[in-house]
Amino acid sequence: MNNWKKVLIAVDNTPTSDKGLQYAGKIIGNLPGVDVCLLHVYPEPPPDYYNSGKSLADYTSQREAEADTLVQRCRQMLTEAGIDPESIAGDVRMAEEKTISETILEVQQQGEYGTIVVGRRGVSKAEEFLFGSISSALVHHSRDCTVWVVG
Amino acid sequence: MVEFADLPAEIREKLRNHRVTRSLRRKSRVFVDTTNFTAIDYGDIILVDGRYFLVTAFTREGRFGVDDQVKPWVPKVEDLTTGEHKILKLVFHETFDITFGPFTIPCYRNPEKEARVLELVKGHPHFMQGEAVLDEAGNLVRILDIINGSRVDKVIHRSKSGHKEYFNNELPDILAHYLPCVKAIGFLHSHGFRHGDVRRDHIFVERHTGLYRWIDFDYDFYLPEKPFALDLYELGNALMYLTARRNLYPRDIMADPDLGESVARKIEPGDYSLLSKNRIANLQKIYPYIPTTLNNIFLHFSLGTEVFYETVDELYLDLKTVLTKGW
Repeated sequence: MNNWKKVLIAVDNTPTSDKGLQYAGKIIGNLPGVDVCLLHVYPEPPPDYYNSGKSLADYTSQREAEADTLVQRCRQMLTEAGIDPESIAGDVRMAEEKTISETILEVQQQGEYGTIVVGRRGVSKAEEFLFGSISSALVHHSRDCTVWVVG
Repeated sequence: MVEFADLPAEIREKLRNHRVTRSLRRKSRVFVDTTNFTAIDYGDIILVDGRYFLVTAFTREGRFGVDDQVKPWVPKVEDLTTGEHKILKLVFHETFDITFGPFTIPCYRNPEKEARVLELVKGHPHFMQGEAVLDEAGNLVRILDIINGSRVDKVIHRSKSGHKEYFNNELPDILAHYLPCVKAIGFLHSHGFRHGDVRRDHIFVERHTGLYRWIDFDYDFYLPEKPFALDLYELGNALMYLTARRNLYPRDIMADPDLGESVARKIEPGDYSLLSKNRIANLQKIYPYIPTTLNNIFLHFSLGTEVFYETVDELYLDLKTVLTKGW
């Protein structure tokens, strides 16, 4: 796999996400030729969101503003780990008629990323069945890339 | 507002002679706006889509724990032009949480989703039929055909046979009818819809065809990463209920003279349901004549499972294989 230095890091505002980011920073921090994308994917609004008179634009603008702050913070962490800020891109998307893991894999395919980094919460069986595990889904359904699951 | 006197002469005539209005001490009111559905009463008329629906009764809640509560947003009606009996569902936005063990899932009553599902399943033999129209205030009124039949959980209790006899003689036919219902939920999922309220009492057995049909599509839930998991889990629950003809908890085993403590002692932590506390999923330990192939399906929904069904189609194919081979 010759594009492994093209790294897609899925981030959110959780400690496990930060762990993944720190781990990735340690591994790729001072490597030359690294190209990183910080990806934050958020879900569609709940079905009752529109009942309050709010629009999809209200929802996305609020989520994107939160995500911009998140991406900035993550960018800072990677920069401190030694990655050239010019090599760090940010991407924020809503999982539109898809799950979050499907959206991450779509970005990986489109951008031909060789590595995906994701934090792992460590959920119970029942939680995984009902709420899903993004890291499990990435491991099961990824193609043409390596997935680093950081627990 | 439409006054009684404004109604067409033939409708007024029908009302005069109708059993419902004959017993009324007031004139029927005509509602063209159903926003305040609690104001609509027995003997009133809901005028939508140019059709005059006389309210003849209200449906009642079948959910366990709130049995028999009147649902004022779901009147039973008669179309005064055709004489057909229908059920109307009026817009009632409701949000509530359902709890599975330690987990809480937000649920919603979603009339728009039900209208879209009704459109999708038009002509499908395993779903209730109906259409959605707007009242004068823009409320989505669903006009539903009444299924002439009974809930499947009532039907399976008609025979008073013992469980082994039920299992060998009645269950194969019941599951052969349930199988296409499982497939039907997969059909919804393939179009991006959830049923939202898969329950054994939401399958009606049509009297003249024997077909099993799903009812009630207005519930929705929010599980963005596993959008169909709850439907899938409840399909497994319904399958286990049909097989055991009840939900089984340790107290039921202890209370059953055919089972008792010797059977209860065999139950291990992994035999319980993944999400329903103390409900036993490993039914073969209670009824040893349940074939392993069928029991393996149940075990996918147990705490001991290493593998989940990811899609309804996987469950469907396993059940189909079991039923094709028989027992």
